[in-house]
Amino acid sequence: MRVPNTLNWKVGGPAGEGIMTTGLIFSKTIARHGIKVFDYTEYPSLITGGHNTYQVYASQNSATSQYQKLDVLIALDKPTLDLHHDEFYDNTLVIYDAQDDKINIEEHNLPVKNFNLPMVQLATESGGSRLMANNVALGASMFLFGLDLEILNGVIQDVFGRKGEEIVTKNQNAAKAGYDFMKMHLGQPILTIDKVEDKNYLTMTGNEAISMGAIAGGLQLYTAYPMTPSSSVLHVLAEKAKTADIVVKHAEDEIGVINMALGASFAGVRSMVGTSGGGFCYMSEALGLSGVAEIPLVVLESMRPGPAAGMPTWTAQGDIQFIITASQDEFPRFVVAPADAQEAFELTRLAMDLSEKYQTLVIVVADKLLSESRHTMELESTQFNNTRVGFEENPQLDEVGFYPRYQDSESGIGKRTIPGQKDGYYLSNSYEHDKYGFASEEGRVRVEQVDKRAKKFELMKGEILPQYFEDNGGEMTLVSYGSTKGAVIAARELLEQQGIKVNIFNLTWIWPFPVEQVEKVLSMDVPFAVVEGNSTGQLGKIITMETGIKITNKLLKYDGRPFYPYEIVQFVRNTLKK
Amino acid sequence: MNQLPQKYPFLPTWCPGCGNFGIMNAIKMAIAKSGHPKEKFVIVYDIGCSGNMSDFLDMYGFHGLHGRALPPAAGIKLANHDLKVIVVIGDGGCYGEGATHFINLMRGNHDITVLVHDNHRYSLTTGQMSPTTDKGEATKSTPEGSIEEPLNPLALAISNHATFIAREFSGAIPQLSARIGEAISHEGFALIDMLQICSVYNPKQDLRWYREHTVSLEAEGHNSTDKAAAWTQAMREEKLPVGLFFKADRPAYHSQVSELQSGTLVNHNKSVVDMTTLLQDYR
Repeated sequence: MRVPNTLNWKVGGPAGEGIMTTGLIFSKTIARHGIKVFDYTEYPSLITGGHNTYQVYASQNSATSQYQKLDVLIALDKPTLDLHHDEFYDNTLVIYDAQDDKINIEEHNLPVKNFNLPMVQLATESGGSRLMANNVALGASMFLFGLDLEILNGVIQDVFGRKGEEIVTKNQNAAKAGYDFMKMHLGQPILTIDKVEDKNYLTMTGNEAISMGAIAGGLQLYTAYPMTPSSSVLHVLAEKAKTADIVVKHAEDEIGVINMALGASFAGVRSMVGTSGGGFCYMSEALGLSGVAEIPLVVLESMRPGPAAGMPTWTAQGDIQFIITASQDEFPRFVVAPADAQEAFELTRLAMDLSEKYQTLVIVVADKLLSESRHTMELESTQFNNTRVGFEENPQLDEVGFYPRYQDSESGIGKRTIPGQKDGYYLSNSYEHDKYGFASEEGRVRVEQVDKRAKKFELMKGEILPQYFEDNGGEMTLVSYGSTKGAVIAARELLEQQGIKVNIFNLTWIWPFPVEQVEKVLSMDVPFAVVEGNSTGQLGKIITMETGIKITNKLLKYDGRPFYPYEIVQFVRNTLKK
Repeated sequence: MNQLPQKYPFLPTWCPGCGNFGIMNAIKMAIAKSGHPKEKFVIVYDIGCSGNMSDFLDMYGFHGLHGRALPPAAGIKLANHDLKVIVVIGDGGCYGEGATHFINLMRGNHDITVLVHDNHRYSLTTGQMSPTTDKGEATKSTPEGSIEEPLNPLALAISNHATFIAREFSGAIPQLSARIGEAISHEGFALIDMLQICSVYNPKQDLRWYREHTVSLEAEGHNSTDKAAAWTQAMREEKLPVGLFFKADRPAYHSQVSELQSGTLVNHNKSVVDMTTLLQDYR
């Protein structure tokens, strides 16, 4: 049942009681032990009063997904004792505070072991306030998994350091009280996970990785209007703006956001915007402006269930068909869909470069699962080099007195000038235009400019990266995109234990579509299935559109929850009739 | 068939008698007199008859989407606050389709000069009512007369923190040009609502009509630092006052952005990004 050297921990309680901070501290502590984490949070679209959870799956080898079955559940209120029975297995331990939460444990019919930890009492007895009870739970958790209390103390120092030494010490004392109480009553850990000394992991949510990747890629201006689950990019970048030396603008609406960013990009600044499906719909007219005027722009679209307002704080992969075509007519664009924090960092950084290199739109696609889940990742360096490309340093006006910014060429990519430069005059135009940017309705000019932009698309195909492919000699190939990769990898591990091998093919590069790679994998003599978070199989439809390959097997999920590995395992067994 | 060589920039395609001719000349004169080199100017054009001016000027230009000329203007200024940014937009784009941007960017006192060609009609789309059409006017989209009351752009700007608010008549070119010059030098959000003739789709409001219905604020001794007096003038119904309603000195948006204190954003060098400090939070 259990994979060795893993643990699965969850804390649950009412919104507004520090659930997210408690989970974050636990997660960072694990990562500082040199162990990989995957954190998954659930919360309703409410400020206070809803049920919040923070789950940490940790593994020495690979933590790519949330798992259903919990080793430890910390219940910070009564509802938590009742809402998670599906997640119990034989060895689950439930921790609660009978005294403070006035719990009669018999009433909850827990089918598993449980332990009454007087969190509030221990917090106050150790000299802290009742708010520090969560630290008692953290200290207790250290003992439960044989983890190092000193490492937890270091994280507490870093997270609460700004509030002063006294607060730090009190939180650390509360953690020690929890650790000691557990040690006294249990004597030994319930399961242990080995520490790895030489690992120096970073942990980031997808949105944090997107933010940092953009900065590494030379971001200068980020504009956005808040929309879950993209908002934390706005928060992170606004908070770090001074340190990162960037400008962040919360504009009046998504239409203002994208048009402002396009203006700035026209003026020579590397710009990015972020939103979710609804805001992306608002932006779609201006996506075409980026296309026709050939203005570089990076757009983050973090998906949630729709249509319309949908389910704001839940996850989905239902916008991808719209994203590859959104806006009027045709123009070249890149669409990338990172699977985890590592890819989110790297692909967003690359997006900043590609948008400038090809003077066009790059859409980075995420979803709530990626945006708000925390992953371990590693960077080889903390210094990043950027080269600006595509600018004419010494523009010359031609015989008619203008700079031919949109002159056709072999690559279709012209050199830009920026306002302020002498003799670089041209018009950046939302209308179809000639080589200077002046509006033109002449058929010849129109065809020349459409073809010029199309040439860029042919070159853009050369940027497609190798997609994630595990050829395990499997009986079946699972085809997915973006964040679903993690659950598929986790399912492969579980299937291996059951003697079933599967191959994994996850697309992070959606457009230009990696036709050759997809054809190669899907022409193997192995059945395949798409696994995606929408109700019609949109990735499958895109595959068929681009390759002519028909899709017969689909595992689709659209209840707002991410795939759990066991669901994929069941699907594979059913499909293979095993 | 031989084609005539195209002249650049294009010759204006506006209708004979259009107020846009006078406005374009006023803009050109104001820029020439500003003392700033021409390459330091960007004009952002909205969609409409006024926006077609983009093809008739030899300058840096950005011809955006309908109603959306103000956000790119603010973006250009944020990117490079050494530039002078002018918006050429109509009453439909500024007060209708893009009213959200108008209202919100003036609150921020973004340093842009917004020139609204206000002819009380959508003319490029052949004469539908606009936000400033008087109630009861029959137009192509309101054959029985419009039901809405007209929007009052001056009152809106006065109540909503714009720092340079004027109205001028497009036919008085020297006066309009001087006002545009003042707006360009003003550091902050400058609005000039430019009353403009559209002889094709709004023949009633012709030169004579404007002569009869306008009154000079200067002649009335209006004090443009007095916000309450400006409000009273903006709310007048029997006459349309022209001139400078209100002007205030308040720091522009870009001058309050701490990251722009060290120079223009476009010159912030990102060739080496050192993230050692930033990444510490994620350990």
